[in-house]
Amino acid sequence: MSDSGSTAIVCSNPDCRVGDTGKCVEGLETSKCPHYGRTPQAMVESANKGSDGIAMPSGGTLSIAEAAKLLRAGEARLIAIIGPTDAGKTSLIAGLYDLFQNGSVAGFDFAGSLSLREFEHICHDARAASRRGTPHINRTPRGEVKFYHLHVGSGEAHDDLALVLGDRAGEEYRSAMDDVSVVAGFAEIVRADALTVLVDGERLLDIGARHNLRSEIIMILRALIEGGAITSLPRIAVVLTKLDLVRQSPEQERALADFANLVETIAQTYSGTFAEVASFTIAASPKNDILPRGAGIPDLLTFWLSKTPPRPTAPADRLPASRVFARLDALEKAEV
Amino acid sequence: MGEHSIVIVGLPGSGKTTFLAALWHLITEHDMDTVLQFEKLGDGDSAHLNAIAARWRDAKVQDRTATSGNRLVSMNLVDTTGNSIRVTFPDTAGEAYGRMWEDRECDVAVAETLKASNVMLFVHSNTIQPPMWVVDDVALSRRMGVPVPEGQAVPWHPKLAPTQVQLVELLQLLGSPPLDVGQRRITVMLSAWDKAAPEELSPAEFLAAKLPLLSQFLRRNTARWTARVYGLSAQGGDYDAIETGAVAKPQAAELRKLDRPSTRIRLVRDSVESHDLTEPLGWIMA
Repeated sequence: MSDSGSTAIVCSNPDCRVGDTGKCVEGLETSKCPHYGRTPQAMVESANKGSDGIAMPSGGTLSIAEAAKLLRAGEARLIAIIGPTDAGKTSLIAGLYDLFQNGSVAGFDFAGSLSLREFEHICHDARAASRRGTPHINRTPRGEVKFYHLHVGSGEAHDDLALVLGDRAGEEYRSAMDDVSVVAGFAEIVRADALTVLVDGERLLDIGARHNLRSEIIMILRALIEGGAITSLPRIAVVLTKLDLVRQSPEQERALADFANLVETIAQTYSGTFAEVASFTIAASPKNDILPRGAGIPDLLTFWLSKTPPRPTAPADRLPASRVFARLDALEKAEV
Repeated sequence: MGEHSIVIVGLPGSGKTTFLAALWHLITEHDMDTVLQFEKLGDGDSAHLNAIAARWRDAKVQDRTATSGNRLVSMNLVDTTGNSIRVTFPDTAGEAYGRMWEDRECDVAVAETLKASNVMLFVHSNTIQPPMWVVDDVALSRRMGVPVPEGQAVPWHPKLAPTQVQLVELLQLLGSPPLDVGQRRITVMLSAWDKAAPEELSPAEFLAAKLPLLSQFLRRNTARWTARVYGLSAQGGDYDAIETGAVAKPQAAELRKLDRPSTRIRLVRDSVESHDLTEPLGWIMA
């Protein structure tokens, strides 16, 4: 790859827009990225070298286009999981998937997933096979939003629906506080049936950090609204994460009171923005056995899967077509 | 003559070849009442079936080297009304199916066999790798007073995935292009059922208890998969290893003493037990 400007910047990862944004989709420095400077064709040839096999579906996360196709295919819920770095977004996604490993969750059965391989990947460091002493979940790297898919159902088979979970790096949501224009790229927010804002229980226990945490969450929501991403009266879940740490702390009562106060503030401040404000407490991947793994997630799943109120119809020209968050709708329409 | 193809799938060591060996013995020996019966050798090569059946009668485990690679075996059978049926099975090493999960690739020849409309899925009931979590492992270590395995982190590899996840993905791949052929019948064959018997569960209950993700998946996908669950002990117990100097298994010696080797076979569905390995074939081809 050249920095001279005379040569186009290329990357063999088709999801990476480093040529446009200057940012590696994997969040790596360009000098360390194995795909940087390689053409997609070179990668294809490399992958196929010596292979006479038929390619199978990847089992990885879904792109925006793939998620849009899924949303069009049948009954579906798109959930945008929002929170600052280390709030527990990936832990929540992994924790939900792992609950199905032991059976139905809140009366819902696992019916399939297009992201099975990636679910396994993000769960690994909390599994005994990792041989770690404490569970660990890797951060979501910066880059375009990725989607995890679970097909779930209860009752009759034809009642199954697709649960699509948007996962984006916490740094990107936080950057919206500094520059509202970045919200235009948050495709998952505009189409979301339910927003889910994660409140980091560990930071809330910190008497010094709690004020900044509260401020960040309020400001991120304000940026999303001002940036035009929240327009369709979605429901919102405000979720206190890492409940296992909260339960063990002498600061427990104060932290829970702070959380209740934050939920109340969101409900009052944005009463016309959300169809419903609900609060939950979870321990997606507890670091000890004080709480069962995935505690609180079944209630959150029930909230996610409940029927969403009809969306208000927005004028067709309300959003500039160039805005990235319009792409999801545009892609859906293109599928018709 | 009716022509049927049944694909036998399962991870390595799940009992696919042992099933074929026991089935070939059962139908050629003709010493048990069976839903389907042997008609004739017919055209084709029976050498592989004869070889694996001979090892089975000797109560020796199947030689994985000899059974590696992809083979198509055929059996000419006749049903109770006299109709001739030719059933073709691929005897494919489980590594080929593991590769679909790990490398996201499928050999061209294996892909062709996977397009057979009906499926027998083999799961070794005594080697199921369940999902286990760090927290549970640490708590167990502390209760047992053994060191916590900290500081030896193992990087992720797809082969570390629980058995049920790999099997669900295998069925999902069979239901997706380019392998999708529409609705299929499937028998889940829980092999080494003699090892699972102490659990005192029916095969369907065992599936729900030990492989809950697969059980949920089959329950929710009846439009694509019509399923039956069997417990199968095709050997009847532990067989001797074929390596020189391997310690002889007392159970293998006892099994050799049986006058009719076919009686080693146990097939269980719900509360019904028989020796008839052709019963699942009859259902799957109905």
